[in-house]
Amino acid sequence: MTTQQLRPIVSVFPIKGKVKTIKQVPLPSVFSAPIRPDVVRFVHTNMAKNNRQAHAVSTTAGEQTSATSWGTGRAVARIPRVKGSGTGRSGQAAFGNMCRGGRMYAPKKVWRKWHRKINTNQKRYAVCSAIAATAVTPLVMSRGHRVNKLPELPLVVSDQLQSLTKTRQAVKFLKFIGAYRDVEKVIRTKKTRVGQGKYRNRRHVLRKGPMVVYARNLGIKKAFRNIPGVETASVYTLNLLKLAPGSQMGRFIIWTESAFKLLEDIYGSWEKPSKFKSGFYLPRPVMVNTDVERIIKSDQVQTVLRNRRPRSRKYGKKIQRADPYEDMSVMVKLNPYYKTKLQKQKELEEKNKKERKEIVDKSRKEYEDWLYFSEEEEEEEEEEEEEGSDEDREIEVLSDEN
Amino acid sequence: MSKQVPETIKKQVKRSFNSKEVKKEKNEKRMKLLKEIQTKAFKRAEKYEKEYLEQEQKLVELKQKALKEGSFYREPEPKLAFIIRIRGIVGVPPKPRKILQLLRLRRIYSGVFIRLNKSSLRMLHFIDPYVTWGYPDVETVRALIYKRGHARVNHQRKIIDSNEMIYDKLQKYDIVCMEDLVHEIFTVGKNFKHANSFLWAFKLKPPVGGFSTVKKSFVNKGEHGNREQYINTLVKKMI
Repeated sequence: MTTQQLRPIVSVFPIKGKVKTIKQVPLPSVFSAPIRPDVVRFVHTNMAKNNRQAHAVSTTAGEQTSATSWGTGRAVARIPRVKGSGTGRSGQAAFGNMCRGGRMYAPKKVWRKWHRKINTNQKRYAVCSAIAATAVTPLVMSRGHRVNKLPELPLVVSDQLQSLTKTRQAVKFLKFIGAYRDVEKVIRTKKTRVGQGKYRNRRHVLRKGPMVVYARNLGIKKAFRNIPGVETASVYTLNLLKLAPGSQMGRFIIWTESAFKLLEDIYGSWEKPSKFKSGFYLPRPVMVNTDVERIIKSDQVQTVLRNRRPRSRKYGKKIQRADPYEDMSVMVKLNPYYKTKLQKQKELEEKNKKERKEIVDKSRKEYEDWLYFSEEEEEEEEEEEEEGSDEDREIEVLSDEN
Repeated sequence: MSKQVPETIKKQVKRSFNSKEVKKEKNEKRMKLLKEIQTKAFKRAEKYEKEYLEQEQKLVELKQKALKEGSFYREPEPKLAFIIRIRGIVGVPPKPRKILQLLRLRRIYSGVFIRLNKSSLRMLHFIDPYVTWGYPDVETVRALIYKRGHARVNHQRKIIDSNEMIYDKLQKYDIVCMEDLVHEIFTVGKNFKHANSFLWAFKLKPPVGGFSTVKKSFVNKGEHGNREQYINTLVKKMI
């Protein structure tokens, strides 16, 4: 990437004395290659198949009988049965994969495809990713390496390391630089292998410790050879199976200065091709800036966005509401005129009541008056009637009736 | 130790349309609007009360006038009907089924308002055995909308709990409150269609006291078909 003109600086440490920077080296471009666990996993699973040895079941296994089926009508299953008599084996089922002593289903063949081809570029991509991951402390730590006491990651050390010959010197160096904790972990967790490998010459299982990468072997190989967990490798031949054991990226690597510098030549950059791998440029990342959150929150993006559509929270929940005919407050909220309406109705009713009362009273009074006067008349008539004769009265009565 | 707020968060808060100032402004606007709606609602309700009363009185007057002259007053044919579906969904033939669907009567005891014209009367003719319908009065329309009125909001059925809800949807048809809605439905105004489609189909309860027999028409002492003004008593039992 053109942005990689300025590259970060890495300190080089001595192999003894005081842990302080003796030199500073620019970080090779490989360490900015995209870290792709998916690529590494794919390449690793296929690469790991390449050191397999062929195995198979004997071609004659389970077939060395002349068994024939008894056919139907004998109250036995129709599986081929061993011929003859005089032995327990006779009459037993043979040949089938379900039979005891029979051949297995699909007997394994030697010509099974044991190895896998992987595209060269894919292999190189994976290695670049794995190397980049070794500089990322969280990845190295999550792989399980004890790197707390290291002065720096990536750990680059002076070229004098390549000239070490004695294991004692090597151990002293590891302790000096703070890498021995990782070795201690390996020693502490050495265990007998679980499973049948233990009696197949693979008795012990060790963790992986630091890996020492050198440019020239001037004795370093032998010096570090016997330290449990430590592996050495030449920078020219970095193996993915060692850089990302179990397809887990982030091996703890100790680089020598010249090895570290050579990485730039061996893997190239995005502008310059590799000197050793013809036509190979470093893989380009899909995203240059992976801080998506920051991109989204940046001014350039936010100013161009439309406003968030407001969630109509008013109608979000199920609204509970009382019956307006039972709860006055709900009624008034819906119809503010309601109270006034009731009042007016009341007033009207009272007015009507009053009027009715007046009318009723009036008519009652009239009736009572009429009653009163009619009583008086009757009394007068009665008095008159008492004075007159019977005959006269009869006539009067008749005339009243008329 | 001073708290350092990251630049991105500061910018976000500034930009946010949910910030305190924006919220406050919005709230103020909303309160103002609500007040407007309620004052309008009051005035219009008053107006409509008068209107309904006048209509009744007018009707009575015209009838009396006609009597005096020795002629007859022919009342205008009803414009509004309320239909209630009184039969279930099992075994309904395709034509009535489709018509019931069109009228939003998709389940038993659901009710809708419908404007009466030649087309809708013919539709009702087809679905007579499955529904009962009649001419609701103001109080029935009011009771239905107030008590059982649900609005169709965002394809959801929401109970009408404030005039704001009505304003949001029907403001452009000059319907801003419950009484407006009632008036539009009852008098079958210009925007009856929109007022009616704003309302979800009414879900009523089975009638208190039950039905006599749904298989017969109302005219034959059953329940289905046109029951004119007796729909009002039925709705009271079902609301």
